[in-house]
Amino acid sequence: MDKGGGILSDIFAFNGSSNAGWSQPKPILSFSQIKETVPKSMLRSIPPAWPRASEPELVRHYTWLSRRNFGIDTGFYPLGSCTMKHNPRVNERIVNLPGIDRMHPLQPEHQIQGILSIFFEMQEMLAICSGMDQVTLQPVAGAQGEFTAMRCIQEFHRERGEGHRNKVIVPDSAHGTNPASASMCGYEIIEIPSGKDGRIDLDALQSVVGDDTAAMMITNPSTLGVFEPEIAKASEIVHSAGGQMYYDGANFNAIIGKTDPGMMGFDAVHYNLHKTFSQPHGGGGPGSGPIGVKAHLAKYLPTPLASRRKLNDSDAEGVGDGFWYSWVTPEKTIGKVQQWHGNAGAVVRCWAFYRRYGRELERMSEHAVLNANYLRYKIMNPDPEVASNIHAMPLDGAPTDFVMHEFTLSMIQLKDKVGITGKDIAKRLLDYGVMAPTLYFPMIVPECLMIEPTETESKEVLDQFAKDFLNILTEDPEIVTTAPHTTDVGRVDEVWAARNLILRHPGNNTVQD
Amino acid sequence: MDQLPNLGREQEMLSIMGLKSIDQLFSNIPDEVRRTEPLPLPPPQSEEEIWRDAQHLLGSNINLDSRPSFLSAGLSRNFVPTMVGMLATRGEFLTSYTPYQAEVSQGMLQAMWEFQTMISELVSLPISNVSMYDASTSAAEAITCAVRVHNKKATQKETIYISELVPPHRMSVIENYVQGAGINIQILKHDQNGHLDIDSASIANGSCAVYVEQPNSFGILDEGLLKLKELIGDNTALIVGVDAVSLGIVSPPGEWGADIVVGEGQPFGIGPTFGGPIYGIFACTDKYIRQMPGRIVGQTHDSNEKMAFTLTLSTREQHIRRHRATSNICSNETLIALMGAMHMSLLGPDGITVLSQRVAASTEVTKKALQSIKGVELVHPNSHNFRDFVIKLPGDSGEAVAFIDSKGVMAGLPLGQWWSEMSSCLLIGCDERTSESDISSLVSAIKEWIKEVEF
Repeated sequence: MDKGGGILSDIFAFNGSSNAGWSQPKPILSFSQIKETVPKSMLRSIPPAWPRASEPELVRHYTWLSRRNFGIDTGFYPLGSCTMKHNPRVNERIVNLPGIDRMHPLQPEHQIQGILSIFFEMQEMLAICSGMDQVTLQPVAGAQGEFTAMRCIQEFHRERGEGHRNKVIVPDSAHGTNPASASMCGYEIIEIPSGKDGRIDLDALQSVVGDDTAAMMITNPSTLGVFEPEIAKASEIVHSAGGQMYYDGANFNAIIGKTDPGMMGFDAVHYNLHKTFSQPHGGGGPGSGPIGVKAHLAKYLPTPLASRRKLNDSDAEGVGDGFWYSWVTPEKTIGKVQQWHGNAGAVVRCWAFYRRYGRELERMSEHAVLNANYLRYKIMNPDPEVASNIHAMPLDGAPTDFVMHEFTLSMIQLKDKVGITGKDIAKRLLDYGVMAPTLYFPMIVPECLMIEPTETESKEVLDQFAKDFLNILTEDPEIVTTAPHTTDVGRVDEVWAARNLILRHPGNNTVQD
Repeated sequence: MDQLPNLGREQEMLSIMGLKSIDQLFSNIPDEVRRTEPLPLPPPQSEEEIWRDAQHLLGSNINLDSRPSFLSAGLSRNFVPTMVGMLATRGEFLTSYTPYQAEVSQGMLQAMWEFQTMISELVSLPISNVSMYDASTSAAEAITCAVRVHNKKATQKETIYISELVPPHRMSVIENYVQGAGINIQILKHDQNGHLDIDSASIANGSCAVYVEQPNSFGILDEGLLKLKELIGDNTALIVGVDAVSLGIVSPPGEWGADIVVGEGQPFGIGPTFGGPIYGIFACTDKYIRQMPGRIVGQTHDSNEKMAFTLTLSTREQHIRRHRATSNICSNETLIALMGAMHMSLLGPDGITVLSQRVAASTEVTKKALQSIKGVELVHPNSHNFRDFVIKLPGDSGEAVAFIDSKGVMAGLPLGQWWSEMSSCLLIGCDERTSESDISSLVSAIKEWIKEVEF
């Protein structure tokens, strides 16, 4: 196989002798007695064909794999909508403490005062930042947060005898999870088109609301990175039709301390802790998707919530802040969406992250917005000598003076003129040692690249990216359309994968020489 | 505040753009929704102060490793090999996003393809995804998936059957997930021995799916389930929830007719972590592949015919199909699945067998020891158990657990918390780390409590 690969590359080719592997203590019963513990007809005859390898071999295999993977630690990661900011390392150290790693979710309250106090603090902090009244930390991903909130809204309507409200409105620029989550609750989806400038079309909204409207789901700033100035009016339209307003918090990084969903008229919101509060994305998860709601929805939240009261004389000492923490069940709870209390490890990491900013969280959003506007400016205003060599300039995805934390570029002129697509640009960027932006989303921008630098990138990184990006626009189209050229593998054939569906290793026998 | 490289350089960057203040950048936010007061939160802290507070707060918790513990109930007090945490937190893995750009994500893609293979081998079914949130959401989405596949031919439309012993928190997750699809949940009964009432199980024939657990929530291995597929027929999905570790010695459900296998992956890869992040296993036969939830990695090749991996079957997913997607899942638990794959590959076929034997041995030894206490009864004396079993005490088991806790032992889960009619029952959970001395601590604490209540 390729560089450094060879024997490292195929884990199932490792097939050492049975005593070469990882050692563990012996069972506390003899083998014949253990066999008696399983009904005869249920004994497994052949063990799973897992690799048979030693620690030295496996450390090399996984180190080799890690070197074939790109993370924020490797380089700039301007993946729009995903908020790929630096992940502070002390957070990883903290979640290795036995007081979180070795904890069971069903332990009695007096054994978990510390973790409960962190849960309570996070609930309060998120409520403050979003203008909501009560937060649950149970949903483990943004999509699960959406689902949870839509379930609460559903029960709210049902209890008021308005269970017939069966439609949820989403703009056509919404994240795919919005309609998918509402649909899982049984809602019918009404998609409304955005205006030409990417902003909400209030007339279109007015024409679809009615006594069948359950809710509207929207993110602000929008997926185009544009703040929606008429958001309060949109809330009014939906509310006067009897619907609820749901805020998709994917773009929360742009607005903390500057405005909040409560002020905008929202009734419920989810937070992506793995975006805004730096839970590492880990190749696709874990995430954490708490939701906050206004008081009228609080009694439907999943159970349990962390709460506290002043210490009594009879209480044990607690954590030393004068409070006793406990679990409470909301009066009309929808029950559970995750088996336990959510991704507690993510909650603790994000607690450590928020503590770095405290009341200065506003600075984080300022720098996210500063960096996005700066990068957009550098790309859209090239030096004249560079500009003269560019095949065709990108178009702004949304004509606005200032963007928020991200921006979109349409590469349609480049495609029309020299045949270079947005995807080609994305793949070519990989050759420059940076991650590609989000591609072809939102769908309303043709040949879209969505760029979100986050607040943790220096001016020099942004300057270099703008330079590289503009340089690609001057390159021989042949080089760009066949990119990438310097990555571990060349352009990957996704169609072949979907047609042939090789979804597992064929097994030891076929790979040995 | 030390996470901002451009702090103090704001003016320099603004002036390049011809601007004067950061406020200008926020000028699109109208005054009526503009926040004017600072956030009522504490001042920023340094790393050192955060670490100090974390040590203090988390240090005040009582962790499972600090005393003998028999609290399991779906999570394992496992030992995770040191290699796992050290390699999984390499920045290239830890700080990557979902591998949309396959050319620079071959490492994670291949690791997940290997994970799929290991899960497939473990449960003996051909297909596995890259993980769900936990065992409960896996079970719930297996049910909605099965209904999509089988409803057309079903004679009991939108109907599924679930074992009454599925624990209440999982039932609640399932109810939340299936209600939107209008699915009707029917309950399958169990007999005095904790076995599924197999004679009545054929009632599920013609429905979309049956969900049972092996072992069930009382830790009982139920031989009768081996006949279940035959009773419910080809057009009703048999969905089995497993204790993944048990499959080192217990025959995998793929070998006795399961169509979909789900379960908690946590014992492989990560500590109990207060219940999350953990990961759900989801494996199935070919029949469900286009209706299943979650990410899937496939093998392919690059433009030079070199072997490569990529996410595949994305047309099922929310970012493409939107409201017609098979699931809303986007973020999953990939990093924890990676830790699981590392743990599984270090165990190997011999290690998983030994691990499984260790849990079985601890369960048996603990069961025998508690059975010998006067006043303690096994609720299912004739059952085979793996990891968990139920005892009946002469009094309220919640009070017993509190007393035993004061003696420095975690006795297990008072089952009244799950089912009110079982308030004198205690769910004892064992694991590979249960030692003879843990068991004797539990035995003496229970004896002491019985002495107290008898006076």
